[in-house]
This record gives sequence, structure tokens and C-alpha cells, in this order.
Amino acid sequence: MELLDLKLLRDLKALKSQAFAVALVMACGLAMMIMTRSLIRSLDQARDGYYEKHRFAEVFAGLKRAPDSTREKLAAIPGVAAVETGVEVSVTLDLPDLLEPASGLINAVPDRRPTILNKLYLRRGNLLEGSSRLEVLVSEAFAEANALNPGDPIAAILNGRRLELRIAGIVLAPQYVFEARPGSALPDNKTFGIFWMREQELAEAFNLEGAFNTLALSLAPGASEPEVIAEVDRILEPYGGLGAYGRSEHPSNIRVDDEIRVLDGLSFGFPLVFLSVAAFMTHSVMSRQIALQREQIAILKAFGFANRTIAWHYIKFALLIVIVGTSLGTLGGFIFGLKLVDMYHLFFRFPRLEFVPATGAIIGALIASSAAALIGVAGAVLKVVKLSPAEAMRPEPPASFRPAIAERLGFSKWLTVSLRMALRNVERKPWQAIFTTVALAMATGILIIPNAFRDGVRHILDFQWDVVQRQTVTVSLVEPGPMRAAHDFSQLPGVVLAEPFRTVPIEMVSGQRSRRLALHGIVKDADLNRVMGQDNLPLQLEQSGLIISEALGDSLEVRPGDLVTINVLQGKRRSITIPIGGFSQDFAGIASFMELHALNRLLGEGDRITGAFISVAGGQWEAFLRELKETPQASGVVIKNAMRQSFRKTTAESIGLIQVIYSSFATIVAFGIVYNSARIALSERARELATLRVLGFSQGDVGSILVGELVVLAAIALPLGLWIGSGMASLLIQSINTETVRLPLVLSASNYAYATLVITLATAISALIACRKLNQLDLVGALKATE
Amino acid sequence: MTSPIPPAPDSSLVVARELSKTYGSGNAAVHALRGVNLDLPKGELVVLLGASGSGKSTLLNLIGGLDNPTGGSLHYRGWNVAQADEAGLTAYRRDVVGFVFQFYNLIASLTARENIGLITEVSRDPMSTDDALALVDLTNRANHFPAQLSGGEQQRVAIARAIAKRPELLLCDEPTGALDVKTGVLVLEAIQRINREIGTLTVVITHNAILAEMADRVFTMSDGRLELAKVNANPRPVGELAW
Repeated sequence: MELLDLKLLRDLKALKSQAFAVALVMACGLAMMIMTRSLIRSLDQARDGYYEKHRFAEVFAGLKRAPDSTREKLAAIPGVAAVETGVEVSVTLDLPDLLEPASGLINAVPDRRPTILNKLYLRRGNLLEGSSRLEVLVSEAFAEANALNPGDPIAAILNGRRLELRIAGIVLAPQYVFEARPGSALPDNKTFGIFWMREQELAEAFNLEGAFNTLALSLAPGASEPEVIAEVDRILEPYGGLGAYGRSEHPSNIRVDDEIRVLDGLSFGFPLVFLSVAAFMTHSVMSRQIALQREQIAILKAFGFANRTIAWHYIKFALLIVIVGTSLGTLGGFIFGLKLVDMYHLFFRFPRLEFVPATGAIIGALIASSAAALIGVAGAVLKVVKLSPAEAMRPEPPASFRPAIAERLGFSKWLTVSLRMALRNVERKPWQAIFTTVALAMATGILIIPNAFRDGVRHILDFQWDVVQRQTVTVSLVEPGPMRAAHDFSQLPGVVLAEPFRTVPIEMVSGQRSRRLALHGIVKDADLNRVMGQDNLPLQLEQSGLIISEALGDSLEVRPGDLVTINVLQGKRRSITIPIGGFSQDFAGIASFMELHALNRLLGEGDRITGAFISVAGGQWEAFLRELKETPQASGVVIKNAMRQSFRKTTAESIGLIQVIYSSFATIVAFGIVYNSARIALSERARELATLRVLGFSQGDVGSILVGELVVLAAIALPLGLWIGSGMASLLIQSINTETVRLPLVLSASNYAYATLVITLATAISALIACRKLNQLDLVGALKATE
Repeated sequence: MTSPIPPAPDSSLVVARELSKTYGSGNAAVHALRGVNLDLPKGELVVLLGASGSGKSTLLNLIGGLDNPTGGSLHYRGWNVAQADEAGLTAYRRDVVGFVFQFYNLIASLTARENIGLITEVSRDPMSTDDALALVDLTNRANHFPAQLSGGEQQRVAIARAIAKRPELLLCDEPTGALDVKTGVLVLEAIQRINREIGTLTVVITHNAILAEMADRVFTMSDGRLELAKVNANPRPVGELAW
């Protein structure tokens, strides 16, 4: 090893805590970058492999019922490569361990031909082989949530008939990577599952022999998806087609894509902030190091070392920090990535979801952090090159100061000496002060983001579950039924109130724009499930009015008062053009509402409902559930509290984990910056402070002079940071908001308080460490040093 | 803050007996002071001569309360400096001792006046900043920052800072070490004038033997041992010294 390198290692050892602080900040940014990029690769690979191997379809459609002969027409559409038709029906289940009824969808597995598209992946058991009847395949998420295994019995109510089934296998399917009740943003795997039965048995039970009610298509290379969709819609219209759509509107696929998109956004912004801070920290550490080593540099130059050699010496110093930072960052990225991959398993069901390290990202991280370090060290190294040996041998002349602006404006009377020193110091090196303040403000801001995210989610859910949905349970009927069904529900034990509703699939059109969605018919003065206006007050549904969410308004480019056309995709398939009565609160994305009777008039099928919102008295809850389980016309049951609990177990935990990771990183950055600033201030002022100690100032007096400047900068940085953080949170939330999820920007006092607390603590602890170092200062030695 | 240092009968201000200081231990031990005995009466100007490494700075640091001895005793007006704790030493330095350093050690971000003011703010009975500046003949440079002053001027500000609190003990460590002869003379004249006018016990350490002429008493140090070299009945003014 060259002797100069030995010097490098010893210098690094002497500066270890500061170098480590820089490396740690760097590592946080890189860990986040490597973690998110690796997760994107993991999800991408798992999804692409799964979709390809199990032939995930590209166009999907639901319909009322079409004869099998329609298949040929569909296969003949130009651009269609393969056609898969099937039967999908709702089912209610009776699980012995579950008090409430569970529900789900049953798909048909073809008996006489192999499945072409959306092929099943068998996790355990078998795929309905052999000839035994009444067997069923169960989706893995539901099976895990309810501890079901192959061979277990399961009771299902199919089309009003109770059947005792046996589980043959546990499976996954590419169209159910994200498995949630249709229209629900959150998974509830305990009470909602996906099942598969032999086509023959299912068709018999639902009188769908020789017919199908779902369609999946794959496309030939070069085919136009919109043209195929238009043709499918035309062919299926007479059979109650609900409108075909591509992968970009497929509910499970959207969720996977959204997740990757969010990760993509996070993989860039956060690391950029962290690395900028690291660059600044490198700069301040290296500038100080070079100032302290002025004489050494002069001697090296006097002995004939080239500028290049000396410059490289200091660049290597910075690069060593980069190596430590990148190693720690890679390690952290892998550890957190592995943890998050495990967590994704709760939401996304792939045959295999393995952590795939983004090697490209590691190289990118190395390049990015090297660039940050080089930018940081460049100015300091340039100083070394410019330094002439003779000049450098002399001690540096005293730094020149002048009265601070505040003093020149005549406020000197009110300024204490230590405050004057701090102000003059700030004015002499304004960039150092500005960078420190901005870096501290960034650290404060980063602390705001994860908590804003958490508060936003919490707010939506509280709003949704406490303000909008006041029912205990939502029950949907197997098929539209008479108004008295709601009355029947109100006769169940413990029912306080039952409000009927009707949901119907529609297409809403304005000019060239159209959307397919559900139109909800709700009773006029609803007490349970209410439509909330943008002022967070319940909206009155008028006899003929249409209320849509603002997200839908944006999507169709319409405002209240504009006319839209509603094409009903069911029954008599009527059309109506009506004005928009108002916008509703749109946390849940696109949605539309009408008064129940007005909707029924539009549909022209008489007073019919598809379900009821029910509020149940606490004491009779179990009796209510027992009776409900025996009610054949109830197909789907959503229990608000079960949903809430399931959310707390899954989504809340995962948001919690992400939040903890991000908060910890932000906290590390905050400490890193403040600690580094304090150490540099101590190093720069050691001689001055030692002089004051010798002249009779106490440790406390001198300490307050040392930290005074830091406190001033932190005090400026805090409000600035809260402001920057709010802006960053708003940008981030806007960037990840989708049509299905609209996260509100919630900036709570506790969020601000937390950020303030962390920065204050970081400042206090760093100041304490600096003061302790100050007290250990060798007074005699510091006095002799001449800088 | 009240001083923990009690008043004492008016005899020798500083008394050292068998004072020793050893750095390190075992084979690496450096004996900087080897049993120094010293009595410094009030009002004298004492010059301590010695080569570098002879132990004179160590002795000055012990007298000034910057360091603790490893053996012997050191008393100021009967108060045990050697046994004092950190707070006691801080009070001692604040109330009793004035320091002048070789490299001035002014606070670069404060003007001449503020450098002095900083000290008078924490003193019990300081003179005014202007008086202190007048004593070193720098009234017209009061609002200059250190970077705007010559080396000699900076050292005179440092002297004004040291004496503004009316210390009983003024300790000067190579006060002219970083200055040319002409400037050094100005600085020494200031020190001598203050010693005569205020009666501060002044200890100047130097390796320049010529300074012996200005002292009441001269000690020499070598290898950690102290010897009284000379007592001047009539110390000479700095201006008359042969440089």
C-alpha cells in the first residue's frame, strides 16, 4: 500500500463518525432506490412470467347469457387469437368456523376441452381430476384466510340450493392476482373467495347448459384492441353484454400496474433528495478536512507531489465513503425489499413472487452516489489545486468579518455577543448556512411524507366507514328482487333499519368520452349508506337528479349542469340523457348515484332492488348472522367491522411497515445533517472556543456559542421544512392518485409535531454530543494549533 | 456567579511546592516539571527564560489553571489550585488570571472592542473597554475586526482583553513570538506599563534572554527544573533594551 493511502485510511479513521454519517445518509437514499427498483423487477418478472405461462387473456367481457355457438362468431373477429368462454356465478358459503356468511364467485372448469386462456395454477391437491362429483377448487387467499385444505368439506348455496362440496385443490389464476370483491378497493379474503367447479355441474345448477356468461380473448400480434372490443360489444349486445374491456381496465391487473407505478415514482424522488443531502454533507466534511490539512498539503506539494496525485488522494477519500454507503444501501435495499416482497404476498397472489435484486439499480446507485460525492468534493479539491505551497505553509490569516446586516440596520443593541457571532458567521459563509438550512428543511420535509400518506389512508377509511357507510352490514341479493325483500331483511333478529338499494351496470357517455361503471340507486333520505357532498355533508338525492363523483366528472370532462347519456347495460337496455345534479366526495374514485325510484323508472322493470344496507343492534348480532346464513336469496354479505379488521391486519400493517422504513430513513438523515453540522462547527471553532474557556467562560457558556448557530439554522429550517414537506407530500399523493383511489392530502398537527420533535431531538442530541466533545477538548493543545 | 476563592493575607500570591507534572507513564513518561518551588509576590514582573521543551509553558499552564499537576502543591492566596475542580478552575481563570497567547487568539468574528467586551461582561470589576484600549494605545482601532489589524495590534488587543478585568495575575506565553522586533517592543511596552500602572503580577515566558532586563526577577528553566537567575533592583524600560 502506498504511504499516501495509509494516511488516507488513518484520516478516515479519525473522521469516522462524520464519514459514517455521510455514508448512512447516502445508504438511506440508495436503499430506497434499490429496494423499490428490485420490487418493481420482482413484480414485473412474476407478473410477466405468470401471465405468459398461464395465458392471461387480453380482452374480457361479462354478459347475461349467450349460446355456445356464439364462440365461433367471436373467434372469427379479425385479430382474435383465442377464445375462452366460461360461466361465472355468485355463491354464498357456509363455513362452520365463520359466524357470518361468506360469499364468492364460482367459475366453470371446462369438462370436455382443455382451458385455453386464464389457466389455473395448482398449489395443492388436484385439478378436479377423476369423476367424483361435487368437488371444488378454492383460491389460495381464501383457503389461507380460512385454513382450508384439500379434502375439507365446504357447504355452498348455489342458486338457492345448498350443496355439500369437497375441496379438491388450492389454486391460483392470473385474472385473480389481486383478489377482492368486485368494486371493492380492499381485499377481504376471509369472507370473499374465488372457486372453480366442473362446467357441467355449475351449468346445471344455474340453467346455463350450452351457454356462457363470461368471455376472455387473446389477440393476434398487431391486432387492434379497440376494434376487437367494439366488435365483441356488437356481437354480445343481444345476449346482455356488459361491455368488453382490455387489460388496462381489468381490476386485478390495474392493481398490479398501479403498485408498480407507485414504486416507480418512489424510486426516483426520494433517493434524489437523499443523495443531494449526501453531496452537501460530503462537501462540508471534505472542505473542512482540506482546511485542516493545509500544511500537510503544502508539504506534500513542496516535496514534489503533483496536484493530480493530491487531488486524487482527496477524491479517494470521498469514494471510500461512497463504497461504504453503497454497500450499506445495497444491504438495506435487499433486507427491506425481502420484507416487502413477503408483504406483497398478502395482496398479490403469484405462483412465485421472489425477490429479484435490481443489479442495474446497484450500478446506478454506485454511479449516482459517486456523482453526488464528486460534486460534493469538487470545490474542496479545486482549492487544494490552487493552493501554492509557500502560501499554504503559513497559517491562514484570520477570517475577515463585518457587522451583520441586522447590526448595520441599527439593531445591534438587541443582539447578544454570541448571537452577533452567529449572525456574522452565517453572513461570512452564506452558502454553507443556506445549504445546511435547506438540508435540514429537506430532512424535516421527508419526515412529513410517510405520515401524510398514512393520515390520508386513515382519513379515507374513517370517512368511508364512519361517515358514509353507517350500516353494520351490506347484503346483496342473488338477482334483482322485489322491494319486499328489504322488508324481509328488516324482520331478521336485531335489525334496526334496512334500506334497500339497486345497483346496475351502465355506460355513461359525454361526447366522445364514455365510462362503464355501476349506477347506485339509493333511498331519498338515506340514514345508512349516504352520498356525501364535497362539503362532507350528506347530499339530498332529488327525484330525477344524477350525482357523480368528481373523479368521474374529470374523466368525462363534465361539470354539474352538463348533460350526460346513460346507457343501461342490463335488462331493457334503456338510454336516457339527464343533467348532472352535483358532485359527490370522491375518495373511492369513479362513482354515480340516483334516487332509487328514479333509477327504477329509468330501468322500467318496476320497483326492484339488488340488496339492502342493514343496521343491526349489538346484542343480537350472532342471532342475526345465524338467520342470515339460512337466507337463500342473500348472496353477498359485507360486514363493515370485518372489513375494517381485515384492513387493519393487512393493508394497515403494510402501510405501517413502509411508513416505518421511510420515517426511519428520514430520521437518520435528520440526525446525519445536524450531527455533521455540529461537528464541523466544532472543528472550525475549536481554537476560538478553547480561548474562551481559558479566558474564564464556563462549559455551558461556550457550548451555547457553539450550538447557537445551529439552533438559529434549525429554527429557520423547521417551518421551511414543514412547508416543503407539505408540498412534497401533495406532489407525491397527486402523482400516485388513480381513478380508483383518490388519496386526500391530510396534513395533521400530529404529523407536523412529529417532524418538529424529530428535528428538535436530532438538534438537541447532536448539540449535546458536540458539547461533550467540546468539554473533552485539550485546552492547551487547541490554543497552540495555528490552523 | 460567586467565586469559591477566599481572600488571603497579602503575602505571596502564588506559591508552588515540589510541583511536578508528568505526561504519559512507564517508558513513555515525559517529566515536564520535576519538583518546582516558586513564590510570586504581588505586583512583580517576572520573566521565565528557557529553551523550548524546558517546561516553562507547562508551569504557566498550571499556574493559569489550565491543567492539573501530578504532584506537589500549588496555592493562590492560600487557595489550592492543584485540587480545584472544573468549576473552580473556570472561576479562577475568569476572576483572577489574564492570558496573553503567542498567536493572539482573538475571536475573528468580533471587533477589537467586542473581543474585550466579551470578557468584561463576565467579570466582577472590569475597567471600561475604552480604558483598556487606551492602555494599549488602540483607541482608534476599536471597531476593527482582527483581520483588519496588524499582528502587533492584534496582540495589543489581546493584552487589553487580558487586563480589562483587572486580573491579579497576567500570564503571557511568548507574547512576541510571532512578531517582528519593532512590533514586539510595542507589545512589551504595553505589558510593562500595565504592570507598573495597575500592579498586576505579570509572568512573561520567553526564550529571548534580552527580556530579562525588564523583569523584577528572572527565572530560568531547563529540563523541568526552575532556578532563580537574577533579581533586578532597577528593571529597565523596554525601550532601553538592546535588541
